[in-house]
Amino acid sequence: MLSLDIHKKFDGFELALTLSTPSEKIIVLFGASGSGKSLTLASIAGFITPDAGRIQLGERVLFDAVGGINLSPQARKIGMVRQDLTLFPHLSAADNIAYGLKGPRKDKERRVRDLLELMRLTSFGARKPTELSGGQQQRVALARALAIEPTLLLLDEPFSALDLATRIELRRELKELQQRLRTSMLFVTHDLGEAALLADEMAVIESGRVLQFAPPNQILREPSNARVAQIVGVKNILPAKIIDVNAVRIGERIFETDPVKFPIGSQVRACIRAERVLLIRPEGPSRVHPNTIAGELLDQESDGNDVMLRFRADDARLQPELDFDLHIDIPVYVYERLHLSRQRHWLVTLKPSVLHLVTE
Amino acid sequence: MSTSNLTLSQFSLRRLSGKRALLLAFSTLLILFLTLPLVALVLRALPLGIEAWTSRATLDALQLSLTTATIATLIAFGIGTPVAYVLARENFRAKPIVDTLIDVPMVLPPSVAGLALLMAFGRRGLLGPPLAALGLELPFTIAAVILAETFVAAPFYVRSAKAGFGAVDRKLEQMSELLGVSPFRTWLRVTLPLSAPALFGGLLMTWARALGEFGATIMFAGNFPGRTQTMPLAIYSGLESNLDSALVLSLLLVIVSFGILFVVRAISPKGITLG
Repeated sequence: MLSLDIHKKFDGFELALTLSTPSEKIIVLFGASGSGKSLTLASIAGFITPDAGRIQLGERVLFDAVGGINLSPQARKIGMVRQDLTLFPHLSAADNIAYGLKGPRKDKERRVRDLLELMRLTSFGARKPTELSGGQQQRVALARALAIEPTLLLLDEPFSALDLATRIELRRELKELQQRLRTSMLFVTHDLGEAALLADEMAVIESGRVLQFAPPNQILREPSNARVAQIVGVKNILPAKIIDVNAVRIGERIFETDPVKFPIGSQVRACIRAERVLLIRPEGPSRVHPNTIAGELLDQESDGNDVMLRFRADDARLQPELDFDLHIDIPVYVYERLHLSRQRHWLVTLKPSVLHLVTE
Repeated sequence: MSTSNLTLSQFSLRRLSGKRALLLAFSTLLILFLTLPLVALVLRALPLGIEAWTSRATLDALQLSLTTATIATLIAFGIGTPVAYVLARENFRAKPIVDTLIDVPMVLPPSVAGLALLMAFGRRGLLGPPLAALGLELPFTIAAVILAETFVAAPFYVRSAKAGFGAVDRKLEQMSELLGVSPFRTWLRVTLPLSAPALFGGLLMTWARALGEFGATIMFAGNFPGRTQTMPLAIYSGLESNLDSALVLSLLLVIVSFGILFVVRAISPKGITLG
């Protein structure tokens, strides 16, 4: 059980972060830089003292403003890996890992050997940090943090400074490691893909507050409000009005939806992920879904993986005040197979499950 | 069009080489000016026989200087280390004042320092009567030599140590504590080894400065052969009575100065020693 309730005022910033979850999994704090993620970790580690609140880890209370409890970092039994400057530069990899170990030398040596093996660093123990690659350095930092058998492992953007291939490799290793050791991990990142990949549960953080806390799939499909939708990369966030228990008006058009939880007549936002919009050939089967719009592809950009298109309805516009109606993302190979560069006229279908409605 | 371009580039080339020649001439002049006296000194001192090296005056001054400079350096280390650490790590309101006060002896004329020490510890100075009551009389003793050298030289160590401690990333100390190591042991295992080059460089500079101390020593400790006559003082006296000894001691000090600057430069590539 990890339970955080951290309140602290800084110049022009206030941390008011509350979160509670069963532990033994990877919890990701996701947010832009300056959202308060690192301050949260620093509070848990004991580097900064909150003004109020309580930090509890299983049975152990690390901080309690009311009870006057504030354990020193030394007493918290927490491991940490940061983005940079984590290893002691004057010590070898093995000595870095042994740094926090106590007890007879024989035991320490065996433990270091085991950890080097666990992190696939067996032949690198004698090397100084500067003689290791970025990925190896972070592996040593992980081994050093795990050496003291922490009750919680804090990871502050640990892979952000690494190249893409190493990052992908280390993410997979970390996930495997967590499943093997069952250590609770709190992972901070501003990379949505990394967050979705690693998280058992994910907290979206902004301005020192948790906007939504849920498994990543749920957050991506059902953001709790328009701001979360924006943060987790929903490109189409359109003003809408509830007109029936399963229908909504967007612009000049009416769409069928799943049963809605809002009163009829209320103003909401329709969140539509750009990669979940379906393209259908206009000359295809004539059985047309009610949520289908005919229109034209206006322009496109590509980042190498996906093509990002803009689509405008022929009549009954969704956003009459703009010059386009929907963002649509599709993989490059689909773009090529459908000959989208030549054929510009398409039908677009928004399945009811794709239309996620939130409050403004 | 092309011809005008050509002449233009030729012109700038000539100007550039002219500038370079000028720079070269000035640097040669400066280097000559700085090395000529040292070369002259070495040329006079080298041919001197063994008796100049082993004369009473030479050996006494050498022994006294080595002893006092070493003790002064140890005092600077003992007192200066915690001060440097606090100055590097803590922020308090009086910090700029303390910082400046510590630097003052570096720019103060040594004769002023000597006079000030007399005014503080002299027989009729501020602390004279209480010291006398304890049976202590500092001026014109070996203790006075050490005090004068410490006063003048200690700032070199504090400055260098402060820069050294300041360069150790606080995150590393935090990480050590998070790994279950106490703040004091963190200081021993992380902070100290990482700032060791700066501390060592500072100690060498302090020692060299103490070894060369003249003005404050002669004012506060006097110039008594065998008791307070350090090497620089013996050189000063030797100018009238024993030029050979003065030359030999000067040569020694030149070698020591050169050697120390060389070592300091080698161990601290960032040049943090003189702040």
